[in-house]
Amino acid sequence: MTNVLLRYTNLVLVTLFILSLLSFILAYLFPGEAVENLTGLRLNELTAMQNSALMYSADDNIFVQYWHYIGELFAGNWGVSFSSGLPLYEDVGHYLPASIELSAYALFLSFFIGLPLGFIAALRHHKLTDYSLLSVSLLGYSIPVFWLALLLILVFSLQLGWFPLSGRISLLFEIPSITDFIIIDILLSDSIDKQAALISAFRHLILPTLSIAVVTTTLILRITRRSVIETLNSEFILAAYARGLTPRQVLMRHGIRNALIPILPLLAMQFPTLLTNAMIVESIFSWPGIGNWLIQAIYQQDYPAIRAGMLAVSVLVVIFTMSIDLTIRLTDPRRRRAERATT
Amino acid sequence: MPQPSLYQEEHHPSPLQYTWMEFKKNHIAVAGFFCFTFFLIITIFCPLLAPFDPNMQQIGDLLIPPSWYPNGGISHLFGTDALGRDLLSRIIYGCRMTFGISILLVIVAMLLGVGLGALAGMSKGFRSSFINHTLDSIQAIPTLLIAIIIIAILGPGLVNSMWAIALSLIPQFVHQTRDFIRRELSKEYIMAAKLDGASKRHIFIHSILPNMGEMLVVQATLALSVSILDISALGFLKLGAQAPSSELGAMLLEGIEVAYIAPWTIAVPGGALFVMIISINLVGDGLRSALRNRLLH
Repeated sequence: MTNVLLRYTNLVLVTLFILSLLSFILAYLFPGEAVENLTGLRLNELTAMQNSALMYSADDNIFVQYWHYIGELFAGNWGVSFSSGLPLYEDVGHYLPASIELSAYALFLSFFIGLPLGFIAALRHHKLTDYSLLSVSLLGYSIPVFWLALLLILVFSLQLGWFPLSGRISLLFEIPSITDFIIIDILLSDSIDKQAALISAFRHLILPTLSIAVVTTTLILRITRRSVIETLNSEFILAAYARGLTPRQVLMRHGIRNALIPILPLLAMQFPTLLTNAMIVESIFSWPGIGNWLIQAIYQQDYPAIRAGMLAVSVLVVIFTMSIDLTIRLTDPRRRRAERATT
Repeated sequence: MPQPSLYQEEHHPSPLQYTWMEFKKNHIAVAGFFCFTFFLIITIFCPLLAPFDPNMQQIGDLLIPPSWYPNGGISHLFGTDALGRDLLSRIIYGCRMTFGISILLVIVAMLLGVGLGALAGMSKGFRSSFINHTLDSIQAIPTLLIAIIIIAILGPGLVNSMWAIALSLIPQFVHQTRDFIRRELSKEYIMAAKLDGASKRHIFIHSILPNMGEMLVVQATLALSVSILDISALGFLKLGAQAPSSELGAMLLEGIEVAYIAPWTIAVPGGALFVMIISINLVGDGLRSALRNRLLH
């Protein structure tokens, strides 16, 4: 177990090192001066520029520069944005939680719907329920997420007027940002009408969450269905039946647990897809998240922001996927045996 | 009318015929296959099929509704957009761009992916683990992020977004190829070839590659739907194909401005994308279950 933990820490550290190196190299690859791209200061701010050139030892060789860059990264000094002039570290810290919040709700909703439906489809394999669920999932799986978001806006915001078009919460509410997770912030704040603020926040959440969740739900449904079917066809299930267990007992005692194990790694593989969808949906609903922020940064050619945002998002993805991988490795005895067998 | 069999001769279908027989049993998948061929025909023959030039602006015919509306005309089947361009022609050319470019990208990604995968699968030790780890980390980064970085370096445009999508498609092919090669290498017919003194390259080209075809086709259909989604998403976000181009995602973006008074300008291009991706997914699913059923028999 310590061995596995050590190996994973090692892997995470190496990956993070490569990512930081990559973000450093990006400053040289982007158009313009590297120091500009690292700090976000323009050449006309000469004195500040000279100071930061000293800070990054821009005249020294590239390895010394990288060493200083890492030092500044850990000090939380990520430079400032070209377009707004705000420090990037605070900006990323402000926008990233909004994205995480949206994706987390969407993921939760998808699990809540997708898992049971997947089980139902698998238990009714080759029956009408299975076929109809599968066809519905094919529709959801094929719909381009931006088109879905546009249709939802057209129908529910413009035609019916049920839900607001964009943003996180009605502008009437001024929520002090403590954690930057809107729901938690509302619950923490005490000055305003909590209930009205919560309702407003939920109304803003529904459409973006739905548009992300449709694709994710169908993915979960399909993965679950396949996994359950494969598990129920395996020999230990047959053995359980042979011992005289009822189908219900077989499913509860042997089916569910073994079917759930392969789902998690497959889902972790879909995490980048979820994030891409979340970024697109954010930009359609003007959700103040990291995806929308990055896309705006592209339009404004804000290279320091792209560098910082890319680093933040990829670090998040790496840590998330690695921790899922580690959890599976530690909890699934089959993986452990396979590992012992090879070493 | 079926031919009466006069002779008691056993007929064994080839694996390919067997797959087709299994595939034909699934009627929805066959419908998807016809739809797929339809898009393929549009992609190849689009200048012959389109009634108008996709960029011709007819000043008198702004925002004409499609023909199923009470005030729509038959001369513009899907209506016109805010600049008076015929939507049907733009959709036909848009299918060519989105679908054709995606097919191109998938082929490029497949060639590179199979090459790298063969390198990773046939070699051992450091080289193999280096390729694996690099590709795993590329696969973990969302496509949109790769695209944003490449576009930040090279500037927005269709060709630059194509690079990004090709790069993000490669890892799956490498993974599949590598795993497949690993599985096959332990089988006995490979051992027979080895005992005959075949070199590694010979084993790969003559023994493994012919068996990989089906796996690659299934993987390619998956990659094709992903690539269509990505290319249109990038067009939609103004990062890929730019405004006057008739790429379907870029058309959707243009439609937003008039979406409230002319909903067909976003309904029709989006619908075309939707049907395209459904047909590809149907074919992919059908093929996968046909192959699975063939192995079960």
